[in-house]
Amino acid sequence: MARSRALSAHARRILAALLAGGGAWRHGYELARVADVRSGTLYPLLIRLEEQGYLEAEWQPPAEKGRPARHAYRLTASGIELARNNPPDRAPPARPGRRAAAT
Amino acid sequence: MSRGMRRRFAIIACRVLQRVLPRRLRSWGAAVEAELGEIADDRRALWFALGSVAGLMPRALGAHLAHAAQALAANVHPGGTRMRGLATLAWQPRAIGIACAVGAVALGLAALAAAGAPPAFIGINAAALVIGSLLIGILDTVGAGRIRPAQYRPGIVLMALALALLATALLGTRANGAARWVALGGLSIQPSLILLPVMLVAFARARDALSAGAMVVAAAALALQPDRAMAGMLAAAGAALALRRPSRNVLIVLAAGMAGFAVTLARADLLPATPHVDRLLYTSFAVHPLAGIAVLGGTLLLLVPAIVGLRHDAAQRDVHLVFGAAWLSAIAAAALGNYPTPIVGYGGSAIVGYMLSIALLPKGPRAAAAGSPHAPQAGVPPSDRRLRLGLAR
Repeated sequence: MARSRALSAHARRILAALLAGGGAWRHGYELARVADVRSGTLYPLLIRLEEQGYLEAEWQPPAEKGRPARHAYRLTASGIELARNNPPDRAPPARPGRRAAAT
Repeated sequence: MSRGMRRRFAIIACRVLQRVLPRRLRSWGAAVEAELGEIADDRRALWFALGSVAGLMPRALGAHLAHAAQALAANVHPGGTRMRGLATLAWQPRAIGIACAVGAVALGLAALAAAGAPPAFIGINAAALVIGSLLIGILDTVGAGRIRPAQYRPGIVLMALALALLATALLGTRANGAARWVALGGLSIQPSLILLPVMLVAFARARDALSAGAMVVAAAALALQPDRAMAGMLAAAGAALALRRPSRNVLIVLAAGMAGFAVTLARADLLPATPHVDRLLYTSFAVHPLAGIAVLGGTLLLLVPAIVGLRHDAAQRDVHLVFGAAWLSAIAAAALGNYPTPIVGYGGSAIVGYMLSIALLPKGPRAAAAGSPHAPQAGVPPSDRRLRLGLAR
C-alpha cells in the first residue's frame, strides 16, 4: 500500500505554479521565482515528483541560437490531480528574519 | 569576488554536482547549469547554483551509500558463509572510503551531540564532509581530460604542499609553543591533517626523487611545528612503504620521517586536551556506553578501505598500506596523547584530509582480473588517473 504523506508548503507551491501553467512546460529558475522557493528546495522536490510519476521532465532545444538546451517540467494527469487536491496555503509563510551572526 | 568569477564558480559548482550525482540523476545537475544562462545577475546565478548543490548533495551521498550497500548485499553467498560482496566492492575502494567517511562522521556527530558539544561543532563537521565530497568531485572534474599525462609532475605538487606545511610552522598560529594551525575565516585549520595523508598516498604512487624531497621538507616542517602525531604518521607510513618497496627514495623518506618523529618526541608537548577534540576514545565512554561504541566504531571504520584494499587489490597494496598506516597512526596518537581524534571528534581538517586521501585511492584495481564483470574495459584510461592529474593542477 502506497504511503500517504502530507505535502509540505513548498511542494504545494511548486505544484500550484506548475498547475497555473495550464499544461505548459515550465523551467527551473522560473518555477523557483514563481513558487518562491530556493533552488536547493526546488530540485529535490522536482526529482521526487518525477520519480513518483507526478511530473514529466524533458530536455527542450534552445529557443535562440547559442543558448543551451533547457530542462522543462509539466504535471502528468496524476500530478494535476495531486496539485488540485493540495492547494497552497492561503498566506505564504513569512520567511524567518536573519539571525545575527554568532561566533 | 568579480562578476565573471562568480559566474565561473557557479558553473564549476554545477559541473561538480554532475560528477557527484549518481548517473541516473546527472541530468538534473545539467538542468541546473542550463538555468544559469537565464539568470542575468551573476550573484543570483551563484546562489542558485550553490543552493542546488546544497539541496542535492545529501541525495548524492545517500545514493552512493545505497549503491555500496546493494553491491554488498547482492553478492552475499546464499549459504551465508562466503561473502563475495567485499570482493566486488574492492573494485571500488573509493566508494568504500566515502561510505566509511560518511559513517564515521555520522557516528561522531551522534557522539558529539550526546556529549553536549556546541551545535556549531556538529555543523562544522557536517560541512567539512560536504566540502570533502566536493573536493573529490573537483579533483575528478578539473583533472578530466584537461592535463596530458606527460604534464603530471607529482613531485612539484608535493613540494608545494610541503612548503605550505613549512609556512605553517614558521608563520602559523602559536599555542603553548606549537605552531600547527592557520586562522581562516574565524576557524582554526590544521593544514597537516588536511595535506599530509594525501601527500603520503601520492608519494606511495610516485616515489620519485622530487616527491621524496618534498616528504623530507614535510618531515622537517612537522618537527619544527612540532607535531608528534603528524610526524608519527609520516614515519609510520614511510616504514610501511619501506617494508614493501625499500628503494633509495623510500628509505630517505623513512629516515627523514623517523628523525622528525624523534625530534618531536624530544621536544615537550604542553598542549592540554581540548574537549570534544582530544581523548574522545576515553571520554566518550564516560558520557554513555553507546557514545563510546559510536566513537570506537567510527574510528575503526576509517581503516576499512585499507583492509579491503590490502585483501583484494594485490596490484596496489602499496597505496592501501600507506593509507592504512597513516590513519592507524593518527588513531594511535589520539589514543596515546592529546591529539585530535580523527573524523569522529570535532575538527573539519581531519575530515577533509580523509576525503582527499580517499580521492587518491584507486577507483578499481590496476591488475584487472580477466573476465571479471568489474574489470576496466580495454582502451579506457583508468579513472583514478584523472584524480592524479587533478592533484597536479
